[in-house]
Amino acid sequence: MNISDCMKRNVISISETATVREAAAIFSKKHIGLLPVVDMDMKVIGVVGLRDLLDLELPDFLRFVADVDFVHDFGAVESTRPSSDILNGSITVLMKNAINVNEDCGLLRAYAMMLQHGLHDIPVVTDEGILVGVASRVDIGTSILTSWSEVN
Amino acid sequence: MSVPAVFASLIFFASLILIYTDKINRTIVALAGAALMLVVGQVLQFYDLETAIQVIDFETLGLLMSMMILFAMLEPTGLFEYLAVLAARASRGSPLRLFILLGAITAAVSMFLNNVTTVVLIAPVTILICAILGISAVPYLLAEALFSNIGGVATLVGDPPNVLIGSAVGLTFNDFIFHSLPVAVMACIGGMLLLSYLFREELSKKPQNADSVMGLNPAESLNQPETARRVLIVLGAAILLFFVHHLLGIGPAFVSIVAMSVALIWVRPDMEEALKRVEWNVLLFFGGLFVMVGGLEYAGVLDIVLGLLEGMSHIDPVWFGVIIIWMTAILSAIVDNIPITIALIPIIQGLSETGMNITPLWWALAFGVGFGGNGTIIGSTAGIIVASLSEKTKAPITPRLWNQRGLPVMVVTCIIASVMFVILYETF
Repeated sequence: MNISDCMKRNVISISETATVREAAAIFSKKHIGLLPVVDMDMKVIGVVGLRDLLDLELPDFLRFVADVDFVHDFGAVESTRPSSDILNGSITVLMKNAINVNEDCGLLRAYAMMLQHGLHDIPVVTDEGILVGVASRVDIGTSILTSWSEVN
Repeated sequence: MSVPAVFASLIFFASLILIYTDKINRTIVALAGAALMLVVGQVLQFYDLETAIQVIDFETLGLLMSMMILFAMLEPTGLFEYLAVLAARASRGSPLRLFILLGAITAAVSMFLNNVTTVVLIAPVTILICAILGISAVPYLLAEALFSNIGGVATLVGDPPNVLIGSAVGLTFNDFIFHSLPVAVMACIGGMLLLSYLFREELSKKPQNADSVMGLNPAESLNQPETARRVLIVLGAAILLFFVHHLLGIGPAFVSIVAMSVALIWVRPDMEEALKRVEWNVLLFFGGLFVMVGGLEYAGVLDIVLGLLEGMSHIDPVWFGVIIIWMTAILSAIVDNIPITIALIPIIQGLSETGMNITPLWWALAFGVGFGGNGTIIGSTAGIIVASLSEKTKAPITPRLWNQRGLPVMVVTCIIASVMFVILYETF
């Protein structure tokens, strides 16, 4: 069994010419955690995570204060929104290098890569780098567990 | 000027310029400068390793290191978040009240704690409080940098230059309480009034989320109350001993080293973690500077400077002190105040040979180097730290803003120090 057996094939991706606002709309509408960014040939040029967008709204102090348990009310922080300049800017500003796996990648290798890079979803590409699917930790993990039934 | 004097001066001034330009880490500059001074001293036979080790002021290093280790134990306890949270709740969301309380806490804490550590601990929680109130943290951060420097002037252990002066001249903790504390308190009041005026626009707007500060829970912010209690008991005992150290015939370094050991035994912290928080770079910077200035002394440079200053000995000593306040303040606004203090101590000591009463001059030096660092964004390490922290937020402190807010505070505090120096000259 390899990753192409458990990945989602109806992949939602975003064009490199899209704005942050458009990406946010796709995340909300499709309830997903990762958007591969593709060029005109559907080649993956990067990824944008839900977290990368949410980071725009997170307060600066989270980087300096180790523990915010004592802050029971985030006050004004709860209602801060990114500026329209950022929202109308290119999604490529928030894009990160994609860590992809090939269609024939083994399940444990894919899972290990996701653990090491802290990923929850991973794009699956052809030898030419064309996007064919996305697999989540749950997709991969449950497939691995399924194989346990073969053990006597 | 002799050949050794020329070389020694070149090494020292080149190091000062490198420290000023900040292209190379200042500790690297000091250590490399010290090594170069030793090499040149060995070749020209005016300085060697044995002499260099003798000129290092181990009392200063011991006092600084032990206080750093004491506070390294206090740092992870959340005590400083606790204090800031109390201030935020007491302000009930009023910017002016918050400004005064945070400024006063910073000044008070930095009387006993290294200025850099004070701002490193208080600035992050300040950014948090301002964020939940929905106001800019800039006035508060800037005030904390300025007041940590002003508060540090108040005591023997508040600021490295004071430790240096106290150790070199044998001034006691009480001498600083009697002479420096009143000036620092007046400077704090003056600085606070001026800054409140300069930031009047930012401090007059009532935040929409004023109530959110009441959602800060002080008890939860203090995550290691038992450790905090133990270190504070030891620190309190050390401060009491500071008041009477001269009566017991022991130096402040002795008190702080014993206090550090008692706290270490009582708290038994993760030593590796605690030692990571000690500013070894500062201690090494001191060591390098001691060796460099020792080189200047043995090369005869300090005698040349003294010769030049003798011509000034006809100046009224009161005005001479005022000149020292302003001259050292301006120098400290440009270069780190530690090399200036280390270089000026032997020069002022030498002035006593001209028959001048030098005792008041030590206070002039302490005020000048203490308040001067506030003049520019690069004038003090506390300022540099706050500025670089603010650069990581949405509202950074710019050099231009510093010139509009910090520089006036430096001028006003130096005026206050000069006026008090003239009025109280007889008591110094």
